[in-house]
Amino acid sequence: MSGSAGVIDSLLVPADDASTDSRPAYPPPRHAMSLLALESEQDESGDVRGWMPVTSFTSSADGMPRLATVAMLVDALGGMRSITASDPEWAFTADMSIHLLPAGPTTLLQADLHVRRRGRRTLVIEAELLADGERPAGSALLTFAVVPRPEHLVNITLNMAPGRRMMNANSAHEKLEANYFDELELRADTPGVASIELRPVVSNTVGALHGAIHASLIDEASASLGRSLFAGDAVTTDMHLAYLDLGRVGPLTATASSIGNPADGRLTTAVDVHDGNGALVSTATAEVVAL
Amino acid sequence: MSGFGQPTEIGVAQYLLMMIEEIGDGTAELPHTVGHFPGTPTTLDTDGRLGTDLLTCIIDSIGGMTSGLASLPNWIVTTNLMIRRAPDALTGPRGTGALTLDTHVLRRGRSSVVTRVDTTDSDGAAVATAWMSCAILTPENGPPPFTRPVTPFEREVPTDPIFAAPAHEFFNLTAGKTAGVVELSVDQRLRNPWGILHGGSSAVVLDAAARSLVLGRPLIEATPEVIMTDLAVHYLSPGRVGPIVATATSTGRRGPDHLVRVEVRDQGADDRLMVLAMTTVRRLD
Repeated sequence: MSGSAGVIDSLLVPADDASTDSRPAYPPPRHAMSLLALESEQDESGDVRGWMPVTSFTSSADGMPRLATVAMLVDALGGMRSITASDPEWAFTADMSIHLLPAGPTTLLQADLHVRRRGRRTLVIEAELLADGERPAGSALLTFAVVPRPEHLVNITLNMAPGRRMMNANSAHEKLEANYFDELELRADTPGVASIELRPVVSNTVGALHGAIHASLIDEASASLGRSLFAGDAVTTDMHLAYLDLGRVGPLTATASSIGNPADGRLTTAVDVHDGNGALVSTATAEVVAL
Repeated sequence: MSGFGQPTEIGVAQYLLMMIEEIGDGTAELPHTVGHFPGTPTTLDTDGRLGTDLLTCIIDSIGGMTSGLASLPNWIVTTNLMIRRAPDALTGPRGTGALTLDTHVLRRGRSSVVTRVDTTDSDGAAVATAWMSCAILTPENGPPPFTRPVTPFEREVPTDPIFAAPAHEFFNLTAGKTAGVVELSVDQRLRNPWGILHGGSSAVVLDAAARSLVLGRPLIEATPEVIMTDLAVHYLSPGRVGPIVATATSTGRRGPDHLVRVEVRDQGADDRLMVLAMTTVRRLD
């Protein structure tokens, strides 16, 4: 399971005894989420809309946002939506599927999230993606596991007031000025293999690898395999990701293998993410398209 | 939702005739099974290829059973299932004929199981890969009876000629008045041991609706010129009454690949949303 509850950081109302809390502030400066300058707005019904600016540092060669960054947007918004939907319980991301459409060069990606099922133990949320407010850019489906609210979150107060705002205060003064994966120090030195050290800037609130960074590893492991096999540029367009365990030991490594052979400019991959102890922490399949 | 129950008595299993064997001595915490799907003229298309609808059925069957074995003495229901077909096995001889399904449980948690199913043809070429999540539950009458390790067994095929009919007849499909709409009438043979619609039946009706939308005409039969290349299906509530209606809408396209959203509803149960799916349908012509 992924700890997408990191989004609550932006929703917490400062408590009077905050100065006595000795835990390091979350998220730390230049966190993978705050660097994407995500914004959100929640309406009276609880439904959520969010936005993510797309720059040359976060886009593919086709001008679309990389799947990795879309995963961060929908994971953060899904986590936000899940708070009211699962109340009084809590929810953790169990799996995520994303399909991207060729919407062309994009400057702002919008996501609209809706709850499709709130069961006793699962929550299903759908996201519609729109490029620059007008062009269909794809969709996402997320499943959350509904669990008893963790002890340390029982008495928190959440600011769920309607209105558009930055999802993280750090985004107001932190700017991404390098390729997103370079900033995160995500490496893919061998085609089909991507790895990252477990550092606070890519972690969630419990110190494990952030759920969306699993998607970053899967995106780059798949795309790098595609670039190698196509001998040219390639973009990861679809992903089905299942979280199996918290990645608490670095480095985390994603290994992509081709399902059959590429054909018609399409590559299908199966990707496993292992932690530093060799334990399988997530699994995915992905589609890569030659550009 | 899928269940395996008394495997010899499940109509969908009797139609598809997949043999399943458990690898090892049956004591592994994370079970491993292999399915052998023979393929028959009624289940394969004119190229000898299994459509994604019936491929989903057999993946759901073996994945559900294997997840259930990991959950004993409890059992499972499928909550979602994700499939991708190999891009070089969509046309031509690769990926046709009999299939083998290699199935591993990846994770068995307190309340859920995640299982992977890799499908290959008789030459060992990849046909598809899939993973599915199941929720663990305590069935009212206990889990289905299995002797471990599970060994292959011959299924008794009913003499009813419907078990030798094409899939669209076996699954009681009716084309809607417009492209993208297909209806399924619930029959006993399409239910699982708990009396609810077999998860594979939902896959069959949504596959037909998605292909119909992309071809722009009402249809229920197999169409070798279009194929679902990937599918993300979420089972939201059980189908009990019927008619079951699948409605497909277009989200967009990337060249020959159409991204299609499908809702499956149980009209007889207050039009309840049973299944939500996103799928890519490719035109091969």
